[in-house]
Amino acid sequence: MKKSSILGLVTIAVAIAVIISLYANTSTYGSFKDARSTNGQLHVIGYLDKQKDLYYDAAKDANYFSFYMKDKKGEECKVVFAGTKPQDFERSEQIVLVGEMKGNEFQASYIQMKCPSKYTKDRIDVTEASAKKANL
Amino acid sequence: MNTVYKGEHLLPGHIGQFFVVLSFAAALLAAISYYFATTNTNKLDKSWLKMARAAFYINTLSILGLGTCLFYVIYNHYFEYHYAWAYTSRSLPVYYIIAGFWNGQEGGFLLWAFWQAVLGNILIRRSKSWEQPVMTILSLSQVVLASMLLGIEFLGQRIGSSPFLLLRNAVEGPIFSSPDYLSFIKDGQGMNPLLQNYWMVIHPPVLFLGLASVAIPFCYAIAGLWQKRYKEWVNPAIPYTLFAVMILGVGVIMGSLWAYESLNFGGFWAWDPVENASIFPWLTLVAGLHVLIVFKNTGHSYFTATVLILLSFIMVLYESFLARSGVLGETSVHAFTDLGMFGQLVGYMVIFLVLSVYFLVVRWKELPITKKDEETYSREFWMFVGAIFLSLSCFHLVLVTSIPVWNKMFGTKLAPPTDLVTHYNIIQASFAVVIAILMGFTQFLKYKKTDTTRFFITTILYLVFAALITALVVYVSGIYKLHFVFQLVMLAAIFSILINAKVLADAFKGKFKLTGSAVAHIGFGLMLVGALISAGTRKVVSTNDKGIGLANFTKAANERENIMIYKNEPMKMGPYVVTYLGDSVSEPNHYYKVNYKRFDDNGKLVEEFLLKPNVQINPQMGLTPSPDTKHYLFRDLYTHITALPPLRTKPVNETADAGHGQENDDQNYDEPVKHEIQVGDTIRYREGYIVLKGLNKKAQVQDIPLGVNDVAVGAQLEVFSHDKTYESEPVYMIKNGSVFDFARKVDDAGLKLRFSKILPDKGRVEITVYQQPENKKPWIVMSALEFPYINFLWSGTIIMVIGFLLSIFRRNKELKTT
Repeated sequence: MKKSSILGLVTIAVAIAVIISLYANTSTYGSFKDARSTNGQLHVIGYLDKQKDLYYDAAKDANYFSFYMKDKKGEECKVVFAGTKPQDFERSEQIVLVGEMKGNEFQASYIQMKCPSKYTKDRIDVTEASAKKANL
Repeated sequence: MNTVYKGEHLLPGHIGQFFVVLSFAAALLAAISYYFATTNTNKLDKSWLKMARAAFYINTLSILGLGTCLFYVIYNHYFEYHYAWAYTSRSLPVYYIIAGFWNGQEGGFLLWAFWQAVLGNILIRRSKSWEQPVMTILSLSQVVLASMLLGIEFLGQRIGSSPFLLLRNAVEGPIFSSPDYLSFIKDGQGMNPLLQNYWMVIHPPVLFLGLASVAIPFCYAIAGLWQKRYKEWVNPAIPYTLFAVMILGVGVIMGSLWAYESLNFGGFWAWDPVENASIFPWLTLVAGLHVLIVFKNTGHSYFTATVLILLSFIMVLYESFLARSGVLGETSVHAFTDLGMFGQLVGYMVIFLVLSVYFLVVRWKELPITKKDEETYSREFWMFVGAIFLSLSCFHLVLVTSIPVWNKMFGTKLAPPTDLVTHYNIIQASFAVVIAILMGFTQFLKYKKTDTTRFFITTILYLVFAALITALVVYVSGIYKLHFVFQLVMLAAIFSILINAKVLADAFKGKFKLTGSAVAHIGFGLMLVGALISAGTRKVVSTNDKGIGLANFTKAANERENIMIYKNEPMKMGPYVVTYLGDSVSEPNHYYKVNYKRFDDNGKLVEEFLLKPNVQINPQMGLTPSPDTKHYLFRDLYTHITALPPLRTKPVNETADAGHGQENDDQNYDEPVKHEIQVGDTIRYREGYIVLKGLNKKAQVQDIPLGVNDVAVGAQLEVFSHDKTYESEPVYMIKNGSVFDFARKVDDAGLKLRFSKILPDKGRVEITVYQQPENKKPWIVMSALEFPYINFLWSGTIIMVIGFLLSIFRRNKELKTT
């Protein structure tokens, strides 16, 4: 066999290995219900329940933050995170969590939030504009 | 619709929009004219060429004009333009106004088109017989870029997005029904505080120059196929390829410097999709460069070289598609949102992909593909293998980064791996091992054929030597705690540094030709070493074991890196004692002064410094912290504010008369404690003690004149708290027969003191002490991280650039001599 064919085979083998390793590693976007039945980490997308209190008391523990999130199916669950409360968390429109269920709590190892005002700026706050009018 | 709006400056927008259209038309004319200049069989007829050049110059000038208009709009704060309103504000300093220029997508395209125009002008001067075909392709790319800025409706479809779009056309809002709406828009949205960093001024131009320069080797490769000058295009293309690899690499590293300094992504590289996308073209282009050199020296691997060079430009287009089309959605924090150009971005990619495939297929039979196999012990074979592995590494990155694209294409709902960073780290490190080892021993091989015995002996010798050094480095830096693949990367990197150092030493003895490659490879090896140690042995200094904690919390996310410190209360943190001293405000930044002290074993102070991490408060974007860093030669110590008490509206240092009438104020304190004392007595409280020094019979209270029968007595108190002394004088007053007292606050000590009674029969006075509960005292939550040896990464980059420069000079010289 020619060396170039051997190299070709090796290349394909590595490429397949990469695809398999990715396939084994990809997770799924799930709900809290899925999280209860899965062993291991997964992604949950949802919305912050703004009615319920966010808990972060630095004096008690600077690395404990908890809140309630509704997943896309409407199920609500308490989420705890070993860290500080992300800045502007209250304003988040959508939250992506990575973590796993422990008892009745979802322990997040990673939180990503989407704040509409931060990256899409195509909105003029009309209340602000009219407030300024009063100052004139 | 017919409202006449007051105060708008429409002229710069009209001129700008004219230049937008002109640049598009001129690019189109240039592309067409260059095409006919290429296909024209009459060699003496230069009319097409003249027209093409003129059109390209007009394109260049109109891009400059367009840029000037946009700058004028931004600089003068004409917020009637969406671009100025969305990305800048009045308070922005001038250098950030420049950054605001390329903050939006339109500015990015403009910058890209500008660099492509500059490069086109260089090609017109330098490319001689290649000018017509190469410039045809480059002009075509320029047409597509210019179309991105058009913002014109065409057959019901909006083409491009113009930077001169008016705010009232971009945004819905009831205020636009008012003709004087501009008087309500006092200021722009301002720049995202994350981007307010000097690297954001310099990084985008460099990155876009890199992206634009990847087009040149592409144009040469297509021109070579088109004109059937299969072998010739390689020589002029090599220096441009070197240049593109160098600039693109620098641009990417500058981006990671920004990420490192702002630390908002936890380090210099976070494997964010947009970051990954920026190295796709770099990896394929580096691979392509090596195969081009193989082809130039041996005549082997023509097809691979061409494909890799073509692919690199396609990767540039794919990168811009990923970053700009909004397809990445929730997987990236950097990506732009869709400007409605999804189709156009795909179109850009498709045009150049089809062009590449078409020429490869049509010319397939004529391609100079060698049937002969390479020698196993030849440099070309192993360079080729290295290029393949670079491409595989790129393949992996593309595959994982594109998960949202696969989801969109196949309707699947895959999520990226949960531990994405580890996934990338391990797989990419495995590729790095192979590539770094090849980077080493291939340098000992010669083109065509090598003496095997000597090769094996030297290689094994260097491998043993490298293993010894690696063992030492791994032990000292603490890498041994990591996955073994990272130790292998270290071994491979040190191996390749050693061999390339040997080549460099030989080069100084006479084989000067090889200096460039040796230096660039050493630089790359150092980058691997620096990245590995820095990311691998990052240390949390502010480990906090206090608190309720989370029982058996999963994995490393629980580093407990946040620590709470109260003002003026020193706290032990790792090897340091830290004290939060206070804050200062320079709008919109709030600085928090944190004092660091380090003592040796005998309690002697060895080091003391002040760090001022800040938090920017922006009404649109909320709070954005930026760290402050103490740089040492071999490590950096970061301090980052991670949480704050709700910001007070009142400045902290307001110690003015806070009368006891303010009942509400008392709620901020614990139950008051009354003490009956004499002069010289001491009151103890939780954090120190207070001494009554004396009584001041002539106390004054501002704005309250005293009558003949009135009395005012001040209690001269000295407060000792955490090694600090404060003075305070609460006042007791009898005025017109009524009793008043004026409390005084010592905010830094968290105290309010009242002189509440005089007890003449006992010869004592009553002092009431109000003490703030712990959580009402000013505090910050911060985290401190230590990144060691990052300077290897930065210095490796600089060395690599020097290597590339040397290579560019060498290849240019070769061009002139042949």
